[in-house]
Amino acid sequence: MPPKQILIIDDENDIQEVARLSLQLTENWNVIGANGGAAGTLLALSSEPDAILLDVMMPDMDGPSTLRVLQHQGSTIPVIFLTAKVQPADRQKFMQLGVKGIISKPFDPLTLGKQIREMLAWG
Amino acid sequence: MTTKRQHSIRGKLTGIIMITSTTAVLLACLGFTVTGLLNFRKRLIVDISTVARLIAANSTAALAFNDREAGREVLSALQAKPSVIAAGIYNHRGELFAAYEPNHGITMPRSARPDGVYDLGDRIELFSPIRFGGKRIGTMYVSADNRDRAARVLQYEEIAGAIVVFSLLAAFLLAARLQRLISTPIVELARVATLVSKEKSFSVRATPTKLNDEVGNLVNAFNSMLAELEQRDQKLVLYQTVLETTVAERTAELTAANEELLIAKNAAEKAAATSAQLARESALILNNATDGILGIGLDNRPAFVNPSAVRILGMRMEDFDGRTIHEAIHHSHADGTTFPEEECANTMAMRGGAPIGMVDDTFWRGDGTSFPVEYSSTPMLDETGAHIGAVVVFRDVTDRRAIEKLKSEFVSTVSHELRTPLTSIRGALGLLSSGLLGSVAEKGQRMLEIAVANTDRLVRLINDILDLERIESGKVELSRGVVDAQTVVDQAREGLQAMADQENIRIVAEPFAGTLWGDSDRIIQMLTNLIGNAIKFSPPNTTVTLSGSAGPADFTFCVADEGRGVPHDKLTSIFQRFNQVDASDSRAKGGSGLGLAICQSIVTAHGGRIWAEKNEPAGTRVLFTIPLAARSYEVPAADSLPPDAIAKRSDPAVLVVEDDIDLARVMTATLQRLGLSTFHTASGNEAIRLCNEHEPRLLVLDLGLPDLDGFAVVHQLRQQPALRDVPLLVYSALDLGKADQSRLRLGPTEFLTKSRCSLADFEALVIRLFGTVTTRKDSQNAA
Repeated sequence: MPPKQILIIDDENDIQEVARLSLQLTENWNVIGANGGAAGTLLALSSEPDAILLDVMMPDMDGPSTLRVLQHQGSTIPVIFLTAKVQPADRQKFMQLGVKGIISKPFDPLTLGKQIREMLAWG
Repeated sequence: MTTKRQHSIRGKLTGIIMITSTTAVLLACLGFTVTGLLNFRKRLIVDISTVARLIAANSTAALAFNDREAGREVLSALQAKPSVIAAGIYNHRGELFAAYEPNHGITMPRSARPDGVYDLGDRIELFSPIRFGGKRIGTMYVSADNRDRAARVLQYEEIAGAIVVFSLLAAFLLAARLQRLISTPIVELARVATLVSKEKSFSVRATPTKLNDEVGNLVNAFNSMLAELEQRDQKLVLYQTVLETTVAERTAELTAANEELLIAKNAAEKAAATSAQLARESALILNNATDGILGIGLDNRPAFVNPSAVRILGMRMEDFDGRTIHEAIHHSHADGTTFPEEECANTMAMRGGAPIGMVDDTFWRGDGTSFPVEYSSTPMLDETGAHIGAVVVFRDVTDRRAIEKLKSEFVSTVSHELRTPLTSIRGALGLLSSGLLGSVAEKGQRMLEIAVANTDRLVRLINDILDLERIESGKVELSRGVVDAQTVVDQAREGLQAMADQENIRIVAEPFAGTLWGDSDRIIQMLTNLIGNAIKFSPPNTTVTLSGSAGPADFTFCVADEGRGVPHDKLTSIFQRFNQVDASDSRAKGGSGLGLAICQSIVTAHGGRIWAEKNEPAGTRVLFTIPLAARSYEVPAADSLPPDAIAKRSDPAVLVVEDDIDLARVMTATLQRLGLSTFHTASGNEAIRLCNEHEPRLLVLDLGLPDLDGFAVVHQLRQQPALRDVPLLVYSALDLGKADQSRLRLGPTEFLTKSRCSLADFEALVIRLFGTVTTRKDSQNAA
């Protein structure tokens, strides 16, 4: 079974890098990244990753818009929001958009993979 | 003066005595003299008469014989009588016959005069008849010298003078002695009287006399009078004293009364001033209040509008133009859809005299624009307590909303913006310290761990600030429901057990029996916070004790530790933000300094309170209250149910409105067996109030109630947007017709006829109405 491929879309390159490193090191996943909603959508549609970690607040196209575009394009790739928005109302709103889960920033790099697996019910 | 008076009375007395006695002596002397003179004359007349008769008798012969010589001889016998100075004999024709004239100075009358005695002053002449043989033959004349009388008068006068002198002397001496008898007491009286008048004293007395006469009586009477006067004087003094005392008392009373009057007057003036001041202040408040104030009559039309209301609404009193308040400023919802007055619960409540408080509503201005408003309506009562209208105080909260929004956005933006770099830092440090990127030297590893721990702390701090801001700004709506005290305590404890074990702290929890009305997540958050604090500040091998008790309206939770305790002066301030007992605590214990502030915000939002006190013998007790779920019905068999069958948090609550207590008991027990929490009332009005307060998830309603019937209850609940969709189970004694049923619908509605249904039917309908209900059996299976 080939390693899972994860797409991280976040305008913060540092976060991208930390997340990539932690997932590679803890889960041995193949991690690709995009630093904006538009680039991320294109990358997602072209490389068909197993899951997308999507930042919510981004300057060009925010998380929910990106998600809507993906859904509109018929994508079924599970999406997990990676967000600094921690307020319950936001969480509730996001869940209604059809995301598989929400991971708060800052995340623990050692358990990030585990969290993703649990949300997507990967063994 | 006294002397003069003494002289006066004595002199007078002496004078009177002397004048009296002198007069008497003089009168006596006069009498004596007169009598002497008269007797002398009488004897002289008798004497010369005798002489005349002797001469006459001897001269008859001479006369008869006309012997003049013989006559002269007879007459010469008169030489023996020196007092006779002249004598004569007249014949029967009255011619002088013989004369005897020793002294030639005296002239004899030439003829005889009629018989009789003639007193000529210095002599007395006598003419008497000379008779012989019964026949008058001549007249005898004798003249006696009366000059002797003057000498005699002189002699008498000398005697009388001597008598007078002697008698005066005697009288003076006697008077001088005797007048004292009378004058001494009188002088004494005068002296005493003077003394009395001079010294104004009635205590002196005149020396009493032994005399039993008028003077003695006078002195006695005078003394009696003085005694009487003195007595009166004393009485007068007594009366005066009494009078003075009485006057003093009356004066004191009057003064006191006066003072009271003055106080009353001042109080009245003050009250009047206060009242005037109040009226002024009221007017000032009305005119200067920045809040709009509307006075509303029972017809719901404005009675007064203050300047701020005019400014905010852009409407004057006359612009209301006979419209009701609702029609004028509350006619539409915020989205612009029409809001009929009969659907406005607040208007209804206001008309019914109920107080209203709204923080989020919309008012419309005269120009057709709207603004967010916060208002309260208070019933207006007159002096007799009769409801005459309402006062609505409102505030345009546009600015405040904007500021709140700004603040909220700021906080959430800042927290987001802080989180982003923290995410990288935390991630990088986490990877470094994990050793996945290769091992680091021991000291370096330690530093990395410190960096990770403090990054986590910083994240917690940001979370807490955000949390606090949201609770305090009212952004977080408490999702209230019926909460079992034991459940929330168990959950909080569960989450902290690991921490307690690590710190070697024992957590002891007493049984918690109470059904609360609150947000279970928030209550758990609070308990977690407080128990976490207790653990953090307890030395190892001590106990943290959790206890709780239900009061009349509230349930009180208590978290007690045996730590070092909070100083008395900090028991209050620890609930302020970033106000820890010891500033180093936040570093050592990794707290944000906001935990207790968040607890206080949550408790306040629940309508409870939180406080800390000293624990005996050591440590601190933190207590907080959460309101009890109103009228929660005590189920008789509650103790037979295992704890997990009692409603879980966020489980729905059922309001049972039934006036038959036994039936209500059965229904309540059934519902609770289904895992539903219940509350109960027998009154329609109370049902409406409870619905407003608690928004039940299901309403079980009997139609026949003592006050409002079921139709009225449903009608009223339909007026309220939050309640018009509540599932309803109508429980009536009779079958209901279609028309009646349509009047009784709220949300999903089912009907039951009492006489024809079993408890199983009831249970089935409840389950149908409430798809999510889990039975006790299910929950046991799940466990």
